[in-house]
Amino acid sequence: MNTLKTVGISTTRIDTLQRVTGKAQYTNDVKLPGMLYAKILRSPHPHARIRSIDTSKALAMPGVKAVLTNENCKVIWGAGSIAGGVQYSDEIKKITKQHRYAFNNPVRFAGEPVAAVAAVNRHIAEEALLKIHVEYEPLPFVLDQEDAMKPDAPQIWPEGNLALSNRNEAVPMGQKRGNVQDAFAKSDQVFEDRFSTAFVHNAQMEPRSAVAHWEGDHLTLYTPTGGIANCRTDMARDLGIGQDKVRVISQYMGGNFGNKNQNQDADLIAAMLAKQTGAPVKLELSRKEDYIGMHGRWPTTQYYKVGVSKDGAIQGIQLRGYSGMGPYRKNSGAMAGVELYEVANVETSIHPVYTNKTVSGNFRGPEFPQGYFGMQSMTDEVCANLKMDPVDFVLKNMTRKPGGGAKYTDYSLEECVKRGASEFEWAKRWKKVPGSDPGAIKRGAGMSFMAFRSGLGRSDAVITVNAQGKYTVHVGVTDVGAGAKSTMWMIAAEELGVPLSQVDVMWGDTDHCPYSVGESGSRTTIMTGGAVVEAARDLKKQIAAKGMPAGTAMLTATVSANPRLPEGLVRSAFAAHYVEVEVDAELGRIKVLKYLAVHDCGRIINPLTAHGQIHGGVLMGIGMALHEDLIYDKRSGTALTAGYYGARVLTHRDAPKIDVIFIENDDGYGPYGAKSIGEAGKVPAVAAVGNAVANAIGHRMKDLPITRDKVIAVMA
Amino acid sequence: MADPVSSFDVSRREFLEGTGAVALAAVAAVPALGADELPSVPHTAIQVTINGVKQKIDVEDRWTMVEMLRDGLGLTGTKIGCDRGECGACTVLLDGKPVYSCSNLAVWADGRSIQTVEGLAKGDKLDPLQQAFIDHDAPQCGFCTAGQLMSAKALLNNNPHPTADEVRAAMTGNICRCSNYNRYVEAVMSVSGARA
Repeated sequence: MNTLKTVGISTTRIDTLQRVTGKAQYTNDVKLPGMLYAKILRSPHPHARIRSIDTSKALAMPGVKAVLTNENCKVIWGAGSIAGGVQYSDEIKKITKQHRYAFNNPVRFAGEPVAAVAAVNRHIAEEALLKIHVEYEPLPFVLDQEDAMKPDAPQIWPEGNLALSNRNEAVPMGQKRGNVQDAFAKSDQVFEDRFSTAFVHNAQMEPRSAVAHWEGDHLTLYTPTGGIANCRTDMARDLGIGQDKVRVISQYMGGNFGNKNQNQDADLIAAMLAKQTGAPVKLELSRKEDYIGMHGRWPTTQYYKVGVSKDGAIQGIQLRGYSGMGPYRKNSGAMAGVELYEVANVETSIHPVYTNKTVSGNFRGPEFPQGYFGMQSMTDEVCANLKMDPVDFVLKNMTRKPGGGAKYTDYSLEECVKRGASEFEWAKRWKKVPGSDPGAIKRGAGMSFMAFRSGLGRSDAVITVNAQGKYTVHVGVTDVGAGAKSTMWMIAAEELGVPLSQVDVMWGDTDHCPYSVGESGSRTTIMTGGAVVEAARDLKKQIAAKGMPAGTAMLTATVSANPRLPEGLVRSAFAAHYVEVEVDAELGRIKVLKYLAVHDCGRIINPLTAHGQIHGGVLMGIGMALHEDLIYDKRSGTALTAGYYGARVLTHRDAPKIDVIFIENDDGYGPYGAKSIGEAGKVPAVAAVGNAVANAIGHRMKDLPITRDKVIAVMA
Repeated sequence: MADPVSSFDVSRREFLEGTGAVALAAVAAVPALGADELPSVPHTAIQVTINGVKQKIDVEDRWTMVEMLRDGLGLTGTKIGCDRGECGACTVLLDGKPVYSCSNLAVWADGRSIQTVEGLAKGDKLDPLQQAFIDHDAPQCGFCTAGQLMSAKALLNNNPHPTADEVRAAMTGNICRCSNYNRYVEAVMSVSGARA
C-alpha cells in the first residue's frame, strides 16, 4: 500500500500557470536595454574551403555593430566535436586533433556557420548577411555513412572518415563474447539482413536562441539548456575564463529531447559578439537553421546475422553497423539492441563515420530507437520464418540477467511482456499468417520490448528553511518540459513531511542553484531527486537537533550526493509495447489503431506527468517509424526537408490514443525507487510499429521511415 | 559558386514584397527607430484593439504581427516556433479567427482586433480552457501552448460542443513536439463537456 502522502499522487505542475498564461519567460522573451540582434550566415556547400570573406560592405551598413568570421574569431567549440559536459576536460581539449571552431574553414556541412552579424535590429542583421561576400572552393563531399567508408570516398579529415574518439582513436565500437562463427555452424538456421534508419531531428518547438551580456569580465548567458551546470563549464572552458565568471540562466525552455545539455555554438557566438560590441546580444536561429545547424539522430545502416536452433533459441548474433555522424563526432554513434537478448555468442562492430551531412548528436535515447528497430525487426523476421509467435520468442530469448554474472536490482520484463499481451489481446490482433487479410485494407500487430539504463549518479541539492516554515529547494534543473521542477518539489515535500504549499523550488540559474547532471539521459529524477531526498533528510536532522530557525535565521542543508550501486547489481527500466496498425495496401497509408505501452519505470513520482512522458515518447517513435526524414539532395549535398512540413513531424490528426500501464516496484534505489522515464517511451516504439506493419502486409519494411511510396512499391 | 547565401531561402521581406504587402504601407520619412545613424524605414501608424484595449501603434511596414506583439508591445506569450506558417505556436485570434501571426503583417491589423494568450484570463480568473490545460497537464514544455489555446478558443467560440475529431481538425495546425496531443484533446473536450 502506498503510505506516501505526495509522491505517487497526480499533481498539477508547479509552473503550468505561467505556461498557460504566457507569463513564462523563455530565452527569446528576454530583452535587455541596448540589446543587439544577431544572425548567422551559413555555408551553402556541404564541403568547401573558404578562399576569402569580404565583410566590408556589411560592416559599412548603418546599424551593423560587428561581424565575426573564422578570421577574427578562433574560439573552439569543445562540446561540438566531443561529448561536452563532464566528458569535456582540459586534457581532452588539449589532445583532441579534430577541433571544431565556432567558425570553421573548411566548412564541412551545408549549414555550418561562416559568419555572424550583430546589428541594432534583426532586419538589419539579416540584410547584412546578404552583403557578406564569401568565395568558396567547393570540395568533394559524401553524404551516406556507408559510401564514406569506401576507399575512394572524399576524405573529410586527414585522419580519414572513421570518426576519432576523444583520445584520437579511430576504432569501431563493439563487443565480442563467445564465438559467433561456431554458433552459426551449430545453428539450425542462420538469417542475414540489412536495415537502415533515417536522419531525424529533435525539432523541439523553441528554436535556439541565446542572449549574452558581459559586465566587465562576467558573462551572463540566457540560453535554452537542460544542463545549466554543464553549459557553464563548457562556456568557461571554451572562452578560457573561470567558471565563476559565467552565469547561465534558463528559466523556461521549449523542449530539448537531447540537444541541449551542453553549450552550443550559438551560445559562444552570442558571447563573442557581445564581447566585441560591448552590448548585450540576442542571437536567433530560424527553424531551418535549427534543423541544419544543430543536430539530429545519427542515421544508421545495420547488417545482422542471427543463428537460431529449431526451438527458436538464439545461438549467436553478429552486427556490423555504420552511423553517420556528420563531420564532427558530437556523440558516440553507438547502436543498442543486441544486449536485449541472453545470447552466449555475440560480435558487434559499429563504425561512427564522418559525412558531410549536418552533425549527429543526442536525441531521446541516443543509440536506442534506431538500434532497437534494426535488432527487433531482425528477430521478428526470424520469428516469422520460424512461424513462431513473437511473444513466445521474446519470452524465450530476452534478457533475464544483465550478463557478466550481474543481477538486476529488480526484474519485471516478463511481467511487462505478459501483461501487455493479455491487455492488448495479442492473440486476437496478431496475424498468424502475415498479410493474410483479404483486400487492400490489412491489419496486423507488432510488439517490442526494452531494458533501459537507470543508473545512479552524482547531483547536488540545497534546501533551506526559514522561521515561517517555508522550505526552498535549490536544484540545477531547468525543466525541459518533462516536469523536473514539479518532481523535485514533490520529492522534497514528501521527504520533509510537509504539504506542497510550504515548499518552493529555485531552478535554472547557476548563480543560485547547485550542480545537477542536466536533463538528458533520463537521469534527473533519479540523480537530482536522490540529492533532494538526502538534503531533506539532512535538514530534518538539523531541525531535530536545533529546532526550527527563529527571526531572520535560516537552516541550510547542502548535499552533494553520488550514490553507487553495490557491485554486481544493474538497475534497469523495462517495457513492452504492443501496436495494431491498419495498412491501405493500395494507397500505402498506415494508421495506428491501438497502442499499449507497458512500463516499469520504478516508482512513479507524478502519474500526471509520467503518462505524458510515455505518450510523447511513443508518438515521437511513431513519427520516426512512419514519417520523419531529413532528406538530402545528392547533387548539392543540402537538406531538402528542413522544417516541420518537410520533415513531417506528427500533428494532432496523426496522433492515435496511447494507452499506458505502469508496473511499479521499489527496488530500494533512487528516490522512492524511481527509475528512468524520459526516453523510455520512444525507445521500443519504432520497432513495434515496424513489426506491426510487417505483420499486416506480409513484407518486412527495412528502411525508415516507412512512407507510403515504400509500401506501395512492395504491395504493387 | 561565390554567391553569399543567407540562412533564409527566401527572406520574409522578399516574400512579403512578393505578396504586394508593401503597397499597403505609407512611406514615411521619419526613422522608425529614432537612431540618427539608421536609414529611414517605412512605418505606419495603425489603430488596433489588443485584448480589448484600443491602441494606436506606429509599426514598421516590414513587421509581422508577431513582431509587433512580441517586440513592439512586449506581449511575449505568443511564441515563434518556425516563423513560416508551419507550426502554429504564434496563433492569435484576429477578429475572432485563428491566424498565424508570423504570416500576417502588422499593418494588416489596422482597424481590427487581436486576442492573444495574455487576453484569455479575466484578471486572476483563468479562462476555463486554461484551467483545463493545467488540470490535464496539456503543456509539457509549454512553447506551443499559447497557440493551442487560441485555436481551441476559436473552435469553442464557434462550436461549443465539438467531437474529439473536430478538436483534432481545428488544432491540427498546432504542432506539439512533446507530442502531448492526447492530453490537449482531452483538455478541450473536458471544457466542452462542462459547458454542455
